[in-house]
Amino acid sequence: MTRQTTFKLKPPKRALALILAGVLCGTSLTPMAAVAKTGSVATWNPAASEQLIKLPPHYLKKSIDNDFSKSGLAAVLIEKEDQAGLKRQTLTDLQAASERAQGELRTELQHQFLAEKQAYIQIMNEHQDLRRRQAKTKIRLYEKLLRKMERNRGAMTPQRAQLVEKQNEARSRFETSRAAVDTKLFRSTMATESRYAQEYAKNLSAIENLVAAIRSHPMSATTEIDGQAVSKPEYLRRLVAEAEADLAVIDQEHTILGYMAKLVSLDALALSENFTETADVQDALMAAKPERGLTADVDFFVSR
Amino acid sequence: MTYIRTVLATMVIALAALIAQPAAAGTLKNLERERAMLIETLLSSDLTPEERQKRVDLSRARLIDLERMVLRDKSLTGRNTPLVRAAFDNYDLTFLVHASVEKSRTLLDHWLAEIGVSTQSLMNTTSGRR
Repeated sequence: MTRQTTFKLKPPKRALALILAGVLCGTSLTPMAAVAKTGSVATWNPAASEQLIKLPPHYLKKSIDNDFSKSGLAAVLIEKEDQAGLKRQTLTDLQAASERAQGELRTELQHQFLAEKQAYIQIMNEHQDLRRRQAKTKIRLYEKLLRKMERNRGAMTPQRAQLVEKQNEARSRFETSRAAVDTKLFRSTMATESRYAQEYAKNLSAIENLVAAIRSHPMSATTEIDGQAVSKPEYLRRLVAEAEADLAVIDQEHTILGYMAKLVSLDALALSENFTETADVQDALMAAKPERGLTADVDFFVSR
Repeated sequence: MTYIRTVLATMVIALAALIAQPAAAGTLKNLERERAMLIETLLSSDLTPEERQKRVDLSRARLIDLERMVLRDKSLTGRNTPLVRAAFDNYDLTFLVHASVEKSRTLLDHWLAEIGVSTQSLMNTTSGRR
């Protein structure tokens, strides 16, 4: 009965072996495992629509972030963050308790601490995978938007460019001659302006007022990065670079997580070794007790 | 709060779509139709000079507006179709009224000059059997 109770308190070899195996498997930290767990709901499929291209640069980013916050991927990411926070709290509590405890209870708490560390690594691995997916989706989206913008600009064939040039020439010729034409047509011949001309002149002043208001509106201000005005494609390229940087940081964090996993596996190994050594000594003592008695030692005294 | 945000986001997207909505490019077709009618009137031998003048005045008034509509129509910018290309290939023929006033010529004189018929070339012609 006593032996059974003792066994319960001691970290079972099997459990330690499982931790060790789990952590060793986790050292490779295959993102596919996380994908399999969360893949069905954790999705975000933003569309590179024409409407998105037409939005002002700073609003474009907000719109994309807003779209992400409504996605299943964001929900799972938040859930994982919460789980990681709780796990972090558990680890802090266990660490504090383990430092205070002594003897078998300490070993038991150390074992629990290791198991929780393993679970934490697993959660963080999944969390990193989700963040990686978010960054990759963002990069794909920004690149699609850039390609669309380039395509719209690239559609300017030599023939089309020639046409646009001619149209601009025609408009500038019209603007330069308009006043003279008006004078000749309406003043000299006593003809009255058409309803279209009158309405157009009236609307033109309204349009000019609106254009001035739009230009001075804070939301239509040119996007600036480091105090320099940037175009929309340039802004998108910056966003791609930012997302790539996020991805690089995630990769670095993945390496850190790998080292953490390795440390946990080494801790588990060390704990397992300690337990084995203690168990071996106890087993040896238990085994030696019935056989080793005074009768055997009598010989030391009898023989010369 | 989330609801308000959603509504605002929808508004922005809807308004962006409204801004991006292209205008119908029927202005050029109307101009071409009116210009054809004017040339027909100018060349018609069935009309008396007074009738012709009356019709030309009416056509000219309409053409002034139509020419300006075409020149201000942003939907035509870069629209690489045969109709648009042909229209902007020759300003003097497409924007007949503006070009004629600019060059201080009557509509008929301007049109004939642009298609290569001058008083001199007409005087040089001879009638004969083909």
